[in-house]
Amino acid sequence: MTQTDTAVQLDAITKRFPGVLANDDVDLAVERGSVHALLGENGAGKTTLMNVLYGLYQPDGGRVVVDGQPREFDSPRDAIDAGVGMIHQHFMLVDTMTVAENIALGNEPRKWGGLAVDSEATRREVVELSERYGFGVDPDQTIADASVGVQQRVEILKALYRGADVLILDEPTAVLTPQEVEDLFEVLDELTDQGKTVIFITHKLGEAMHAADDITVLRDGKNVATVDADDTTREELAELMVGREVMLEVESRATDVGDVVLDVDSLSVLDDREVPAVTDVSFAVREGEVFGIAGVDGNGQAELVEAITGLRDPETGEVAFDGRSVTDDSRRDRIEDGMAYIPEDRQERGLVMDFDLVENAILGSQHSPSFSSRGAIDWQQSREHAESVVDEYDVRPGNPDARAVSLSGGNQQKFIVGREFERDPRLVVATHPTRGVDIGSQEFIHDRLLELRDEGRGILLVSSKLDEVQGLSDRLAVMHDGDLMAVVDPDDVTEEELGLLMAGEYPEGYEPRDERDAVEVPQ
Amino acid sequence: MSLSQRARDAMGRLVRASGFERFLISASALLLSVLIGAVIVLGAGRMTSCGTAAYTLAFPGSFVTQFTGGDAIFAMGFCYDPIALYDLLFLGALGDILNDPTNGQFATTIAETTILLFTGVAVAVAFRAGIFNIGAQGQLVMGALVTGVVLVSVAPPLSGLGVFAAVVLLPLGLVLGAVAGGVYGAVPGALKAYADANEVITTIMLNFVATSIALFFVSREQFFKDPESFANQTVNLPDAAMFPELVFRARDDVSLLALGFGVAVLVGVWYLLRHTSFGYDLRTSGLQPDAAEYGGVDADRTIVSSMALSGALAGIGGAVYVMMVLGNFQPGVPSYGFDGITVSILAGNNPLGVGFAALLFGILKSGSIVVQVGSDVPPALVGVLRGLIILFVAMPEFFRMAGRKFGSFHQTGEQPVATDGGTGGGVDE
Repeated sequence: MTQTDTAVQLDAITKRFPGVLANDDVDLAVERGSVHALLGENGAGKTTLMNVLYGLYQPDGGRVVVDGQPREFDSPRDAIDAGVGMIHQHFMLVDTMTVAENIALGNEPRKWGGLAVDSEATRREVVELSERYGFGVDPDQTIADASVGVQQRVEILKALYRGADVLILDEPTAVLTPQEVEDLFEVLDELTDQGKTVIFITHKLGEAMHAADDITVLRDGKNVATVDADDTTREELAELMVGREVMLEVESRATDVGDVVLDVDSLSVLDDREVPAVTDVSFAVREGEVFGIAGVDGNGQAELVEAITGLRDPETGEVAFDGRSVTDDSRRDRIEDGMAYIPEDRQERGLVMDFDLVENAILGSQHSPSFSSRGAIDWQQSREHAESVVDEYDVRPGNPDARAVSLSGGNQQKFIVGREFERDPRLVVATHPTRGVDIGSQEFIHDRLLELRDEGRGILLVSSKLDEVQGLSDRLAVMHDGDLMAVVDPDDVTEEELGLLMAGEYPEGYEPRDERDAVEVPQ
Repeated sequence: MSLSQRARDAMGRLVRASGFERFLISASALLLSVLIGAVIVLGAGRMTSCGTAAYTLAFPGSFVTQFTGGDAIFAMGFCYDPIALYDLLFLGALGDILNDPTNGQFATTIAETTILLFTGVAVAVAFRAGIFNIGAQGQLVMGALVTGVVLVSVAPPLSGLGVFAAVVLLPLGLVLGAVAGGVYGAVPGALKAYADANEVITTIMLNFVATSIALFFVSREQFFKDPESFANQTVNLPDAAMFPELVFRARDDVSLLALGFGVAVLVGVWYLLRHTSFGYDLRTSGLQPDAAEYGGVDADRTIVSSMALSGALAGIGGAVYVMMVLGNFQPGVPSYGFDGITVSILAGNNPLGVGFAALLFGILKSGSIVVQVGSDVPPALVGVLRGLIILFVAMPEFFRMAGRKFGSFHQTGEQPVATDGGTGGGVDE
């Protein structure tokens, strides 16, 4: 094996999935003995790129070079043979077996002419390996008794045991406590000191800056920049991650703001892992205004929105809608009260993939008097509704009998936006309303959103596209780590200030303000 | 292309198959099962000894006959004739239908079909809601038990009223069956919804409970055991509480009225699923629970109510079994509930398809009896042939269901994959 300075090189990797270009002509060079962070928002294509390197996916274009030699990996087995190991987010360990047994599983030293596992030798080798890298794991501990941090080390040791020189870690910190994160970073340092190369995937820019030597930022499947961790700032990284595609013209601002329609008071929400995702957030949305929430994905926006729309129970705090507390109301009650919701995840939540558009047109309104009477659904009515949404929002193909699954992502999105906008809502909660939508339709959706605002409806807009939230919002909150950093006037704030706030830092001389009295809304 | 990739592709094509393609697949599966069954019949016939071989294939020119002078000792013999066997199995179920449309054999076919309509559609409703109701058997037994014991208690005083009694007693029996089965189905539904208990486990266990409860009540004279009888059973129902046979003969235990009611129930369930808000909630929950939640569907309530509906349908099957076939209640109810699972899968969980699947089942059950009577083929071999047919016809639908549940084969081409956190991919169920 020839030693080169570049451990892994990816040239122009392209990977397509139906309807999605996951990796678009991505180049990546990883220096031997370094920690390289792959930074990007959810869906930026980080994991896909690494799965290509690990042989789980075959690229549609481009080539993989490991140790200076072009390689074609048909399966992870080939990648492991070439010294590339990957540790997934979900550990693949046998709970009832010991640490040593798990590490050696499938590659155990044999005795009696290969008939039996030499458990003594296994144990010896594992202890040796663990000591060499300072892992400090107990080889006899059962996996079920081991902490998550230890389990992760076992996964790393497993890869090392199989001879990995390049270790890929997929969101390694997502499951760890802060102390375990620190320990992990020490382990990574130790590994690179001994000549191993580490690539880790993350969407947390603080971690990338802290632990990595080089950082590559991916956005929408493209490599937007590779920077030296010492030469960059959190603010620059935040901007690179969310990007600014087409600079929107500043739209007209709200002129006629009415009563509070949505009042969120000291809301705290847990995520799926029961970890606090939103802590003590308060804000209010008024009739006739767009209240924007900006921030890097994964800072609690999803959980906040789910708590408001009734899909997730908050830990503490209140949600009031139209002056009445709806904290204990069901999702259906909130829909019937006039809360429209464009969900972040259109394919899991927003549409039933196996239903055609006529059926999808009444999702959420299946009990409403407009589409049903005495329990029977009026399919003629819902067909007309589907047709008008398809027409007005330019959903293609323009066939209401098409199943949702047959539409491209952008057209699915347009259909959802149309359905929710045309619900005659009091409040629209719009999460990434233009994600994956072509430029022309983006403008249409934006115009329609502002029309709804001018009709006196409240809009809560959550987007990680800075130009979108800044251009459309009348007031703009920045969310970081489960908290609203500040509520700012989108016309006054500078890009630099937004970048810093998104990264969790206050600009110099900036006073954190309480949002309720802070922002003057033109009356 | 690797084997697993090919298997994946095949499953993807299966999931996306159109209605007509699915029909073709089922038809060719049926044909294939008959061909393979024929080979098994020949093989079994070769390995046994019999007086007259159905087929004798002597090899006049072979080297064996040269030494034995063509003697039949070494000739190849096949005891069973597969063509005759399948003729008995399929056409035997119809009996002499041209000359006597109400013959007993055809009546048996119709009776079996009628009960299976109810259990089949019961399982289908649960499947459509994304719930595996393995407990249709128990729900059927409870429906039959309650219908039986209540009717034997209330029917005698009313039976003097003639036609009027039938008008009261038949609907009453059906309602009793529906309520008993519905409650018995709602229990595992509530356990799943509010205690997160897997419905497969609970419904299987509740089947045993139902059988034991039934035995308890009809094996003790202080409860409902007929004191005149040695068997564990209730006294007989008066004729007024029995489904009228209409065109069939009374001794054949079949009723066109019950069959018609069963077909009406299928259409009703189809309408419920397709045209009502409740059906919309139910189907959405079954296809995509996250989207259902988004659309304001109360997941817990939908689970309980679909299981109650499923149980009620199975319970009605039990009531019909008592009021059409048995004429009293006795434990040891045939496995209509379990057959309902296969019927439902065979029908692709479509209520209207259940009609055809139940008919196929009815034919096979009734035909098996004809084969056993009309040929010297052992009953075990007939069971094998039946099993083959069901297995072959049901498997494509079964894999389709599995593919929809566990894979994402909707899009053409490769399996979509969640990119990163999963916003772009197409994982939808």
